Amino acid sequence: MSFFEIKHLCKSFDTIPVINDFSIEIVEQTLCCLVGPNGAGKTTTMDLITGRQKPTSGQILFCDDDITGLDEHEIARLGIGRKFQVPAVFRDLSVRQNLEVAYSRSTNPLKNIFRFREPGFSQQLDEIATQTGLTERLGVEAGILSHGETQWLEIGMVLMQDPRMLLLDEPVAGMTEAEIEKTVSIFRELKKTNTLVVVEHDMAFVREIADVVTVMHMGSLLAQGPISDIEANPRVREVYLGDEEG
Amino acid sequence: MNLYHNVKAQWLAYGVFFVLLALLPTFVSDSFLLNQFATYGVFGMLALSISLCWGFGGILNLGQGIPFGLGAYGMAMTMQMQTQDASNPIPPFMLNNSLDHLPLLWEPFRHTALGIALSLVVPTLFCAIFGGLMFRARVSGPFFAIMTLAMLSAWYTLILDIQPYTNGANGITPPSPLKLGDYAVDPYSPVAYWSVLALLLVATVGAKLMTLSRFGLVVQAVRGDAERVRFLGYSVAGYETTVYTIAGLIAAVAGCCWVVLTQYVSPAQFDTTFSLSMVIWAGIGGRLSLIGAIIGAFLIQGAQSYLGDTFLNTWLLVLGAFFILVVRFLPKGLAGLVESILGRLSVSSKGNGNDVAAHRLYPQPGE
Repeated sequence: MSFFEIKHLCKSFDTIPVINDFSIEIVEQTLCCLVGPNGAGKTTTMDLITGRQKPTSGQILFCDDDITGLDEHEIARLGIGRKFQVPAVFRDLSVRQNLEVAYSRSTNPLKNIFRFREPGFSQQLDEIATQTGLTERLGVEAGILSHGETQWLEIGMVLMQDPRMLLLDEPVAGMTEAEIEKTVSIFRELKKTNTLVVVEHDMAFVREIADVVTVMHMGSLLAQGPISDIEANPRVREVYLGDEEG
Repeated sequence: MNLYHNVKAQWLAYGVFFVLLALLPTFVSDSFLLNQFATYGVFGMLALSISLCWGFGGILNLGQGIPFGLGAYGMAMTMQMQTQDASNPIPPFMLNNSLDHLPLLWEPFRHTALGIALSLVVPTLFCAIFGGLMFRARVSGPFFAIMTLAMLSAWYTLILDIQPYTNGANGITPPSPLKLGDYAVDPYSPVAYWSVLALLLVATVGAKLMTLSRFGLVVQAVRGDAERVRFLGYSVAGYETTVYTIAGLIAAVAGCCWVVLTQYVSPAQFDTTFSLSMVIWAGIGGRLSLIGAIIGAFLIQGAQSYLGDTFLNTWLLVLGAFFILVVRFLPKGLAGLVESILGRLSVSSKGNGNDVAAHRLYPQPGE
């Protein structure tokens, strides 16, 4: 059995194919970086995995469950967490409330009317607030956080969900060197228990953390393998790392 | 920290507010006036339901007259049937509309308990089904508001059209007060006033607790970014439908009380102007504050009763102008004004370094 597998995934908008017979397999407890030039279909792939868009054809399997075409919340409940490219936090809620919403152990609206405290929440909150360095900022409205802090908050929210697989779209965009270093150490720690898929343009960061690099181009798989192989691959250099050609 | 966001202070404010309202009959001996104040309680419930749905859930609902009207018609039918007996089995207006037997639609309302139950269940079910269909299709924001408005007009036309069953534009005027067992609820008595107030209290406390619960938190997250909430594993449609339906239930209770107090119902309860004014009450009082919305309803309806006579037809213009001013300068309504005044006070009284942080603290849910 495979942990996570995409089989012959296709997606077209009207008649324009965006994802074209894309297949990959992701091994449990690894960190896979998804790279590719703009328009390669990275974010669309994330959308298809998490149910925001429905594939035209193909299959997505997660722990042997077919999750193709399920709704966003059903996929999230199965254990796939997602961080967005443009940090999406609840700006008019406090940092603490953001993390509280993300701690989604109970999701039934009627039961939640009568629920005021979530068992295990404050322990998890302490842990993740420390991990993401937000302990001092818990009472603050999320809308006034700096860009870097907002990134941290959204990473913290994904962690609160305690997903088995994390999809992170450009998690270090807009972070300082020191913050990136901290992210690297968190991701290395996470890899011991979770599986991560990271979309990232920052090749230095990719080099630091990736076990496997998957390169997409025009909606298809171009190459997959360890970073050293990828950087030596002439096709990849041509379409993506490009500069040497010119 | 701003006192406004202190949950204990909020409960205290609620307590004071309701105690003052409960003491009102000791000062007001005019039973007509007391009846009028009781109807303000009904408007308070409606404003509360709008605050819950629009303020907390972010669902602009221009059709709150639907559950209100359905509840009101149910109660009016129940009260009407209480006055019919074996010698006089069907309401007089039906005879005028050449019906010779009681229509099936009216049969259940011959039993008071069943009639009252239906007055609450039917509007609630309507909201659950209509809301469920809309929210599952991800209709939201202004599109949902337009759908509620269209649905409201449809109900208005329907009620007007089936004259043999509803007496059309004339409405239903039950000749005697509601009887619960042997007890007749005199709409002009302090008991009627206190009963409405008790229902308003229950609705307010329930709504307040709901905003403090996990449900309330998720609903507020949905208001901020519904898309994001889905990826955390919550069914957004489920939350939206639930908050819309609970608001509908409160409006249905208000509808029942309205008929008990006025002994009258007509298609005017489904009028768009009435549903829009509920939104204006909540907007002026402060849609993010439950109690603010209730006070908004009291102020506007009170002003309409007393100033409306002076201004006559220009009253609507005055109200409209006031609403525009509030939207422009006080987007959080009068409650927002209280919030910023208390915020200033807490900053100037402490004057230390924590103030900046305190100033940025997020307003707690519920106020």
